[in-house]
Amino acid sequence: MSNTNIWTEKYRPTKFEEMVGQNEIIKRVKSLVQAMNIPHFLFAGPAGTGKSTLALITVRELFGEKWRENYLELNASDERGIDVVRQKVKDFARTMALENVPFKVIFLDEADALTKEAQQALRRTMENYSTTCRFILSCNYSSKIIEPIQSRCVTFRFKLLEKKDIHKIVKKITESEKLKLSDEAFESLYEASEGDCRRAINLLQATSSISFDITSEMISIIGSETKPKDIRVVLDYALAGDFENAREKLLDIMLNESISGTDMIKAIQKEIWNLQIEPELKVKLTEKTGEVEFRMIEGSDDFIQLQSLLASFVLAGQGKN
Amino acid sequence: MTLSEKYRIKKFSEAVERDKEIAEIKKFLNDFPKKKALILYGPAGTGKTSLSIVSALENNFEILELNASDLRNRQSLEARLKPATEQQALFKKSKIILMDEIDGVTGTTDAGGIQELVRLIVTTKYPIIMTCNDVWQLKFSQLRQKAKLIELKPLSLNAIFSILIKIAEKEGIRSGNDFLKQVAIKSQGDLRAAINDLQSYSANYDIEIDMQEKRDVEESIFNILRKLFKNREPFLDLFDRTNLSLDEIMLWIEENIPKEYKNIALAKAYYALGNADVFRGRIYRNQSWRFLIYQNIFQSAGISLAKTSQHPATFTKYERPRRILKIWMHNQKIEKRKTISKKYARFVHCSTKRILRDFNLLKPIINQEDVQKKLRLSEEEIDFLNKN
Repeated sequence: MSNTNIWTEKYRPTKFEEMVGQNEIIKRVKSLVQAMNIPHFLFAGPAGTGKSTLALITVRELFGEKWRENYLELNASDERGIDVVRQKVKDFARTMALENVPFKVIFLDEADALTKEAQQALRRTMENYSTTCRFILSCNYSSKIIEPIQSRCVTFRFKLLEKKDIHKIVKKITESEKLKLSDEAFESLYEASEGDCRRAINLLQATSSISFDITSEMISIIGSETKPKDIRVVLDYALAGDFENAREKLLDIMLNESISGTDMIKAIQKEIWNLQIEPELKVKLTEKTGEVEFRMIEGSDDFIQLQSLLASFVLAGQGKN
Repeated sequence: MTLSEKYRIKKFSEAVERDKEIAEIKKFLNDFPKKKALILYGPAGTGKTSLSIVSALENNFEILELNASDLRNRQSLEARLKPATEQQALFKKSKIILMDEIDGVTGTTDAGGIQELVRLIVTTKYPIIMTCNDVWQLKFSQLRQKAKLIELKPLSLNAIFSILIKIAEKEGIRSGNDFLKQVAIKSQGDLRAAINDLQSYSANYDIEIDMQEKRDVEESIFNILRKLFKNREPFLDLFDRTNLSLDEIMLWIEENIPKEYKNIALAKAYYALGNADVFRGRIYRNQSWRFLIYQNIFQSAGISLAKTSQHPATFTKYERPRRILKIWMHNQKIEKRKTISKKYARFVHCSTKRILRDFNLLKPIINQEDVQKKLRLSEEEIDFLNKN
């Protein structure tokens, strides 16, 4: 256990045996690692299910103490394009691996953030350095990874952690940190985490900074911090015909909470079903929302497309479509 | 040949009201290569091109003239200009490179044109003279630093009047002084316009001069928005008379649609603007500049025809686009949030984007003393955490 007050790190498993859930995957990865020769891996699955953790355990097992020298972690959604990725891979792969393993390991997180073209380039890079490097790619959906890369990797599909798994992890933390967490509060925590273990732990720690005796109300207050708030307010303004206030509020929310246009439109799509309007209109608005989301992909300015959607809500507010 | 071409000055001494400016031009040519480029700027018909050409004639230099319309992109500019700036002129004559009307070199159609000009100024062996109407545009900021600037103000009424009298005399146009004075007044300091008017009216000089009739001058964005929103017309060339780019105009339209349109017109207008944006996205992604035509049509005709009838010509107070400024100000404010997230992300094997999204939740976790230390947060960053 590392000596830090960031619980997601402090309680991150460092051995295969400490992992909770994903039993089949762990068994298979472990046997590959023990043979000291791994193929490329593709870890697919939702956030907070153990992909990064398993990658870290893999390199620790392979390289022991010297794992840091033989391991490169990149996040595709943060790097400024495939050229940067390639350069970093090249610099890293140039030298021989230390210890008695003949290769190094590159972990490319959120590989599905790369465009198809970038993935083609990545595939070349994987081939060029396959003698000296193994890749572990992670993604949410393996369907977003191009076929040639998938075929070069052994794919593991991570499932959402079950409630009992999350409970096991949370219990370990509450005992070690001397927290009080009622069953009811755990239910709220699990619900707010949506099966994402990282999120569950972060929620727990953030709430513990208020009190060591955690109630289900505290969890729901803290949990709502990260949801796009006030979307309802935006839509209510629009339905009441006040376009200008609606878009002002929309921009404020997007800026203050760093929400992208695509995330915003997903949130709007969900909120439609909570509105007090005719069901037929809800279907119509969903159709508009879908169309606008599609146009965002082709367009260059999400906010212009969102305004177009708000204008549709103004019409819906008057029973028109 | 038009009269305005025929009576273009051929010597500095023929120019009227330009003594100071001519002295400055001569100084520029003498001091070359102290400053390598000169920008003559001012409204139309103030002698920018004429003085540039005379600068060459008086010194017996060759002149290599390029119009903005000759340039489509960096390659063609480079191909034409680079040999010229590097080779010796024929018969060992020196030369002047004239880049006329650089207002027309835009960021979009003449990709890289301005940057290429800046680069050429650095390497040129011959003086470069450029002309433009508005030297204070943002895109010229680099050029301004590299070049000497000379402003040409509109000519006085008397100057234009005296020139018109001379030309009328030589051409045998027997019109009264009153007529010439009216032509001069109407020109508003634009000599070329005055001479053109003289030519067109002189055939039947007894007709009344329409003082209301405006020349094709640059229109303010406010006028353009007025036409777009009040009239219902399939506008296509509405944006030709402004220096603003289509993208800038799009922001103006976006800001002001709700001031004019309600309900169905509002929805239709934003839909049209969305269409324009879709084509803009395709231009950016594939460099298919041809799609500019579609962007233009959707954001002009598309917006104007979104309503079912003309709007009454009442006054509407249009606003400057506020969104970009707001985003910029916000980014200044949360700059620290980004740098903190970046440091934290590396530590917890996660993307910066995801940390940014959960920033509010993570704040109490990051804002612990030993975590601050571990992440090596700066004092400003810690300050930010405590204040927000």
